[in-house]
Amino acid sequence: MMAPETSSDLLQVSHFSVDLYTARAALRPVDGVSYSVAPGETLAIVGESGSGKTVLNFAPLGLMPTGVVTDLSGSVLFDGQQLVGLPEPALRRIRGGKIGTIFQDPMSALNPALRIGRQIAEVAELHLGMTHAQAEARALDLLKLVRMSDPQARLRQYPHELSGGLRQRAMIAIAIAAEPRLLIADEPTTALDVTVQAQIIGLLKDLQRRLNTAIVLITHDMGVVASIAARVAVMYAGRLAEYGPVEQVLLTPRHPYTRGLIAALPSVDDAPGSPFRGLPGTPPVLGAPLPGCAFAPRCPQVIDICARQYPPLRGSGGPGPGAAVACHVVNARPSKEQAHA
Amino acid sequence: MSTLIAIRLRNAVVLLVLATMLCFALVVSAPGNVAVLIAELRTPKASFEQIRLVEEELGLNQPLVLRYASWLNGALHGNLGVSYKTGDAIGPALASRLPITLTLVVGGAAFAMLLSFALGFLGALWPGRLGDAVSRVIALLGASMPSFFVGALLIYGLAVELGLFPTFGTAGLSSWVLPWMTIGLLPAAVLSRVVRVGLEEAMARPFALTASAKGLSRRAILFRHALPNIAPTYINALGAQGGAMVVGAVVVEPLFALKGVADLFLQGVLFRDFMVVQACLLVFLTSFILLNLMVDIGMMFTDPKLRRQGANA
Amino acid sequence: MRRLRDLFQALAQLPRLAFLAVGLFVLLGVLAPWLAPYDPNAQDLLATHADPSWQHWLGTDHLGRDTLSRLIVSARTSLVGMSLVLLIALSVGITIGTVAGYRRGWVEEVLMRIVDVGLAMPSLIVALAVIGIFGTGYWNMILALALAWWPGSARISRAVAVGVMNRPHIESLRVLGASPGRIYFHHLLPSTIGAVLVYATADAGAVALSIATLSFLGLGIQPPTPEWGQMLVDALPYLESAPWQVILPGLVLTLVVIGFNLLGESIALNRVPTPLPRRILLKRRAMAADWRKAAP
Repeated sequence: MMAPETSSDLLQVSHFSVDLYTARAALRPVDGVSYSVAPGETLAIVGESGSGKTVLNFAPLGLMPTGVVTDLSGSVLFDGQQLVGLPEPALRRIRGGKIGTIFQDPMSALNPALRIGRQIAEVAELHLGMTHAQAEARALDLLKLVRMSDPQARLRQYPHELSGGLRQRAMIAIAIAAEPRLLIADEPTTALDVTVQAQIIGLLKDLQRRLNTAIVLITHDMGVVASIAARVAVMYAGRLAEYGPVEQVLLTPRHPYTRGLIAALPSVDDAPGSPFRGLPGTPPVLGAPLPGCAFAPRCPQVIDICARQYPPLRGSGGPGPGAAVACHVVNARPSKEQAHA
Repeated sequence: MSTLIAIRLRNAVVLLVLATMLCFALVVSAPGNVAVLIAELRTPKASFEQIRLVEEELGLNQPLVLRYASWLNGALHGNLGVSYKTGDAIGPALASRLPITLTLVVGGAAFAMLLSFALGFLGALWPGRLGDAVSRVIALLGASMPSFFVGALLIYGLAVELGLFPTFGTAGLSSWVLPWMTIGLLPAAVLSRVVRVGLEEAMARPFALTASAKGLSRRAILFRHALPNIAPTYINALGAQGGAMVVGAVVVEPLFALKGVADLFLQGVLFRDFMVVQACLLVFLTSFILLNLMVDIGMMFTDPKLRRQGANA
Repeated sequence: MRRLRDLFQALAQLPRLAFLAVGLFVLLGVLAPWLAPYDPNAQDLLATHADPSWQHWLGTDHLGRDTLSRLIVSARTSLVGMSLVLLIALSVGITIGTVAGYRRGWVEEVLMRIVDVGLAMPSLIVALAVIGIFGTGYWNMILALALAWWPGSARISRAVAVGVMNRPHIESLRVLGASPGRIYFHHLLPSTIGAVLVYATADAGAVALSIATLSFLGLGIQPPTPEWGQMLVDALPYLESAPWQVILPGLVLTLVVIGFNLLGESIALNRVPTPLPRRILLKRRAMAADWRKAAP
């Protein structure tokens, strides 16, 4: 089995697929994905925009914009509860309660017409059954917890009166208001200034330690991955390309796509003026699931079978030897060669 | 915020001055000699002397600026001249008629607001369902039917055929129901679209997804998160409908035999009773400018961003 | 219940109905004299308030005039009045708007202030007052309504003109030495007129309503010219005995305005995401089912 199925896992996703329908198209942004997250652990899901990493996390929670319908198949087991097929009222109790969510752009994710305090207190009222006064007090505590300066005054301010970093802190306060067991952070630092990014990542790590919350971090930033995650799943065109411990995936990437991604990162060792190394080609436009490997058209090591048959994810994703990889070429090699790859 | 209110106040005062000038200019620019007209009204085949007398009486032989000043001074003291047709003072007539028009417009506005929220939420709560379709059809009909036709249909259906309401008079609540519905349907239709489109737009914005991620139900998101966001737009649209309702009153008052200001205005227009037209126009424009001032201040209180701009200004 | 819902939905979103209503209205207006079976003003005092018959399809009014003929000829009255009002209002509005958008600076400031005042006043009330001072009559009505409508078209024209002037090709024309007149008449004006005419469609219904309302009040179209609002007010005293003579003109006018309003709505670009209709969802699900068949 690809994902190690230990009963201690908080989140266990197996063979999970999403069919997504809009007025214009039907597509499968997530195709047979499996992974797991232990309590208090951080998993990073890495991929380019359009690789399906956001749908993968939000579709099981029923968090889709108006005009988009999703059909789920496979299994998403959270805290012993099957999320696939769970009716909306039950999902609502989980959203914001046991699972908190942080969005990419805190400016648009916060309601411009409501005070910060109200937007935080609302969660405590809904999930912790607090009274209005209790919830307002809790909002104040939460603002202190996310290390907001002058929390008393912030409660009464509106989102547009805060800086980007403070807004994201408010967003985090909303996400952790009901002490969730899992925090899903969708590109939490992308919309922020570089200096603020490190602060937010530091805050997330600190909160995780204190509250023992598991985090699924969706990102395309390898630097963020290295600084916070224990394990990483690399996504390409709706499928997992590589999945394993962070050190192994980042230091000894095996899938050609992961290697390309990491090789494309600018390095301090680069000579000044050395050309920018990108991946050649563009990711496929999502549509019907491809019969073969989605990366084949861009792959330097492509062989015949790649275009015809989808490579399954092989190897252990857990803290075993090497990461799991979905590649015909890599998996055909004898394990001795893997060490040199 | 106080500076912003001060700016609005100044603008309102400027508009008020312009409005008085407009009212004054209208009568001055009237074709034909007013004095002759009035003298003819009093005694057919008026002599030159009689016309001179009228000119003297109305101060028509004085320079324009003086005439404007004395007219404005009179208007400020409630002296709005005398009807050419009836010879009655216009000020007291307006005072006695104003409550009727106010009852009509305020009641109609309340009806319009109730109906607009009912229709708007009907559509936004269950999009694509029966309620949604019904609300769209009512909104389209309301925006497309002339108010005199609406009034005629209501009179025929509810008063003549079913005998539910009286067709005229101001005695009791039941006699007001039909006029309120007639004058309120068009603003209700326009405002229901404002509610509907505003709610839909708000529900498509990222903060609605955040609210959903908090575990709120669609209904809770609509009421607690989307509704506060449409408040400024709604108040603005409500102000614009205030002007439309005055036009509505001109149709509705005669239709239901209500003796209000709009009815007086219409009589003045029909009989070219300049002073009456001028006085009523002044009343309408003044109340319209005051309404817009209230709208601007109301928007400031419901839009947090405007409030901060005011603080910084 | 479902059938009822489908019916209402069909009614709610039928742009085809809009085109049909507007097209029919324009056709009736243009061909009225040839289409009307009777002289709309021919009285037959022996056949007043006649019921519909083969002779008079929609009956006759209180003076025995043929209702169908009067309804048809009214379309012409309405169409001509509406076109005149829009023509005058748009000419004034587009001129002021494009000059403001072309010159910018203090010219724009002054012109737009005037427009703002025009927009700040309840225009139709001012129009009524103007009629009250200058007297009733066809051209007074047209001019009064144009007075009420020009500020709106001026504001839209300015917005469009500013957009056109900001396009890169205008800047390059200027650099290449094209004369101001050439830029204004050959580039700015044509683009602005096109865009503003589209907005005017949305307003046409409101103009038609205003003409009918003024005529209903006795301030617009004067007898004997037939007009819907006037037909309605003429029939109103006989509401109890001959309700159809009241309802018919109101209904026809309403249909025309619905047509213009729907047309305007389809032009207005407020693309808000709406829930996926069941029909499309089923289609999309069938597509996904095909994938599964293709790749087991």
